[in-house]
Amino acid sequence: MDNIYKPELVEIKEIIDETPDIKTFRLQFKNPELQNSFKFKAGQFAEYSVFGEGECTFCIASSPTRPEYLECSFKLAGKTTSAMTKLNVGDTMGLRGPYGNSFPLEQMKGKNIVFIAGGIGLAPVRCIIWNVLDLRDQFKDITIICGARTVADLVYKNEIEDWKSMSGIKTVVSVDPGGETTDWKGEIGFVPTIVEKVSPSANNTIAILCGPPLMIRYTFPILEKFGFKEENIITTLENRMKCGLGKCGRCNIGSVYVCKDGPIFSYKELKTLPQEY
Amino acid sequence: MEELIISIDNLKEIARELFNNDCRVIGTTAENKFKVIDDPEQLILNPNSVPTGSSFKEFFFPKTEPLFFYKQNNSSIDLIDPVIDKSRIVVIGAKPCDAAALPIISKVFNWDYKDDLFNTRNDNSLIIGMSCHYNDEFCFCNDVGGSPENRKGSDVFLKPLADNYFKAASVTPKGEAFIKEYQKYFEKDLGKNKPLVRKEENPNHFDYDKVKTWLDNNFENKFWDTAGEMCLGCAQCAFVCPTCHCFDIVDEQNGSCAGRRAKNWDACQFSLFTKHASGHNPRDNQEKRYRQRISHKFKYYNDKFDEILCTGCGRCSRGCPVSLDILQIVEEINSLSQKSNAI
Amino acid sequence: MNELKQICKDALSEKKARFIIGYKEDKNKRIKPFIAKTPEDAEQLTFNHHAVNNLAVYLPRFKNNVEGKIGIVVKSCDLKAVTALIQENQIKRDDLFIIGVNCSGVVLDIAKEFNKDNTQIKCKYCQAKTPPYYDALADESKDFEMPDDDQAELMAKIDKMTSDERLEFWNAEFEKCIKCYACRQVCPMCYCEKCIVEKSEPQWIDTSSTARGNFSWNIIRAFHMAGRCIGCHECERACPMGIPLTLLTRKMGMVASSEFGYRHGMSLTEPTLIGTYSTSDKEDFIK
Ligand SMILES: Cc1cc2nc3c(=O)[nH]c(=O)nc-3n(C[C@H](O)[C@H](O)[C@H](O)COP(=O)(O)OP(=O)(O)OC[C@H]3O[C@@H](n4cnc5c(N)ncnc54)[C@H](O)[C@@H]3O)c2cc1C
Ligand code: SF4
Ligand code: SF4
Ligand code: SF4
Ligand code: SF4
Ligand code: SF4
Ligand code: FES
Repeated sequence: MDNIYKPELVEIKEIIDETPDIKTFRLQFKNPELQNSFKFKAGQFAEYSVFGEGECTFCIASSPTRPEYLECSFKLAGKTTSAMTKLNVGDTMGLRGPYGNSFPLEQMKGKNIVFIAGGIGLAPVRCIIWNVLDLRDQFKDITIICGARTVADLVYKNEIEDWKSMSGIKTVVSVDPGGETTDWKGEIGFVPTIVEKVSPSANNTIAILCGPPLMIRYTFPILEKFGFKEENIITTLENRMKCGLGKCGRCNIGSVYVCKDGPIFSYKELKTLPQEY
Repeated sequence: MEELIISIDNLKEIARELFNNDCRVIGTTAENKFKVIDDPEQLILNPNSVPTGSSFKEFFFPKTEPLFFYKQNNSSIDLIDPVIDKSRIVVIGAKPCDAAALPIISKVFNWDYKDDLFNTRNDNSLIIGMSCHYNDEFCFCNDVGGSPENRKGSDVFLKPLADNYFKAASVTPKGEAFIKEYQKYFEKDLGKNKPLVRKEENPNHFDYDKVKTWLDNNFENKFWDTAGEMCLGCAQCAFVCPTCHCFDIVDEQNGSCAGRRAKNWDACQFSLFTKHASGHNPRDNQEKRYRQRISHKFKYYNDKFDEILCTGCGRCSRGCPVSLDILQIVEEINSLSQKSNAI
Repeated sequence: MNELKQICKDALSEKKARFIIGYKEDKNKRIKPFIAKTPEDAEQLTFNHHAVNNLAVYLPRFKNNVEGKIGIVVKSCDLKAVTALIQENQIKRDDLFIIGVNCSGVVLDIAKEFNKDNTQIKCKYCQAKTPPYYDALADESKDFEMPDDDQAELMAKIDKMTSDERLEFWNAEFEKCIKCYACRQVCPMCYCEKCIVEKSEPQWIDTSSTARGNFSWNIIRAFHMAGRCIGCHECERACPMGIPLTLLTRKMGMVASSEFGYRHGMSLTEPTLIGTYSTSDKEDFIK
């Protein structure tokens, strides 16, 4: 029997405390052959599990250009994520995947890219950022706008510093008003406001947008105002999932299964779907 | 092909033989419930009976089933596949609205990824369908592409004749092989037993194409504010339904080092079904959840799999604690579609 | 009937109620819950032997959402649920416009005609066919033939069982459960925003429909009904698997009444059994 619900075993190789409630796990398959044969594309997700606690959905936060390991960044939310926070390096987890569609990497080549992320939404965006940076010469100008509620809530702090120091990349980091510390040197404001301030050019540009539903909702009109075409605004959805396989029936938006037909959608595609996300 | 008939007694004999050969024989008894028949004498085939309270989907897609077991020894973990009962499942006397459900849900269990838990049971099954002579205000098989004579999903199909005989015909190669296997129980039809016919034709209630077109264009419509207003958000309707197939995945510990991951029936009418971990819920009221139920059945599934996710058996309505009647809801949509045409 | 329609029409047009939760008859002559929002809607309101639903189940929905009063049509037995909800601070008496109906018994099986064998057992013991309090009252109660109380016979039988036999009896019943939660959803007293079966940290009850999961679900729900069930029989009527759920809740109600002299939903001002401690409470059940 081919058991599509049975995960493969992975081992935690490294744990990074990103924020008080977000951690990044670096994982490796217990079976080294799988580590070599496991292929995925930026934007895809997987089902991660702690045996006896449950399974949950996270995007793969590392880049496919770095196949020696897989990373996921997760925020403490409920049963499984709280069990995950109690795990240590060397512990075993389950992983099924990769599932879903991916960012349109081919379509992005030769273009300027604006990455916009809020909170834990930077996880899937980080995957595609490194993917793009590892193939740097195939893309034009790159802008990264990321925000968090407070300074403490910013994820991937070291990598943000890396991006800032790289040439040909404009990196803007912001925290919500009230979330700044006295020595905060970045921007202060909600992500949509910062996007407005940065005012990226829509010319030959693709925008990748990921974050909480409200952030996305308020950023769309701003990008449209700057002249971005609907098909050049790409976002990801996070409908609740269980199977990731188009079976369990909970992730649908109208006739679309987000786990199979998504989670990546262009704004143009989103507009054809009922407002149920 | 030769026309065959079989007596109820011989059907029971087949059931007995199957039972003795470790098959799971599913049929209805005096209680009018599908169950594993261990005493063939109790088997009842009554074309006039009301559809059973629950469908027989639980024998293919159980209310709870293990996906795998895990065992932890020190730092290593073993994952053990579940043992799926591979014994043959023979359903005797399925109504057309029951039998039709299997090929319908087989599509979702098999597009792209294949669910072998369902497939193993489905592949090892044989469905003996039977014409239906029942009809009540909740039945509407003929509005959703079925009929009381519809053979979809059946491998062998029976038509009741006088004196407890049935005309038997194979529908699929599987059914043909089955009749051959048990040919000693079948007789040639000499036309002695008159066919029993249903008293009246089933009425037509709505035009599916119109309903579908209306649903295509009316995700936002004030109709939805009242359609599901009284719905209590239980899962009676989904769990008795032959075509509902949603499930949850949960882990259960059995001691500190072992346990299982299970697949359990779940339903879109539960408020937590779509609730995100952040607390955000795209379907945050019962009206939206009811819209999902109706739209999934009569639009989304059709868009995706070219099947209506409903066989018109009427179970959901017969059992609804607040008498929400899916047929009346669809009839209302039908008349709304007529109105919007008139404008 | 006309009286009920008129009362509701007037209540809506005089804005005594913002809307009225009542019953209507559909085109197949089924009686079902319905919310009348306009005086015209009130034309559809009706009441008869088939008006089984305990409409109090809808009240907690409007708990935080009241502008003007909620009208509700209640039988005497349903009023107990309304009273209990008021006692448990789920709704305020002042936020309700209660339209009492004089009841002459309701059916057990909604698909069948009303007669002696198709009458709910609770009707036999209903002491007030006119609701004890209301803001308006409709219709005349008629005498009807009382059903037999088969449940009491079964209860007596179960009482005589050994605990092993009893366990076997209930295991066989609970095995049928499919965890559809219809029993919970129809129950006016099951209003928790997060039911215990949905609490996952820790996981009190297995959500799977296994023997273990079913047993803990059904027993824990019954425990949560101790001294709270008002005996409307809706859970048992709703259960698609035919599990005799009220055997448990009725028994516990009887214990609450014999041991503590308490019956829920009988007085707007009486403190609830679960919420009070009295020095005269028996403690011999703590062993
Ligand atoms: C495509 C996709 C990608 C994602 N990527 C990421 C990512 O990269 N990083 C990340 O951190 N998150 C991501 N998420 C979100 C993540 O899947 C959830 O946060 C995670 O599944 C929570 O799992 P849990 O077991 O800890 O929470 P659960 O315990 O399952 O639920 C958490 C909360 O949901 C509610 N809830 C859910 N079910 C119930 C129930 N039965 N009863 C009561 N309340 C309930 C409760 O409020 C509970 O606190 C992604 C989601 C999707 C769909
Ligand atoms: S339609 Fe009826 S059976 Fe279905 S969820 Fe609503 S109340 Fe329950
Ligand atoms: S939706 Fe209702 S009528 Fe349709 S198949 Fe399911 S139970 Fe039968
Ligand atoms: S109607 Fe609801 S429960 Fe049934 S299959 Fe569709 S989404 Fe699932
Ligand atoms: S437990 Fe049953 S009988 Fe008691 S109040 Fe709830 S629904 Fe009514
Ligand atoms: S209504 Fe019956 S089957 Fe459904 S959860 Fe309650 S006891 Fe179980
Ligand atoms: S997550 Fe199960 S169908 Fe999409």
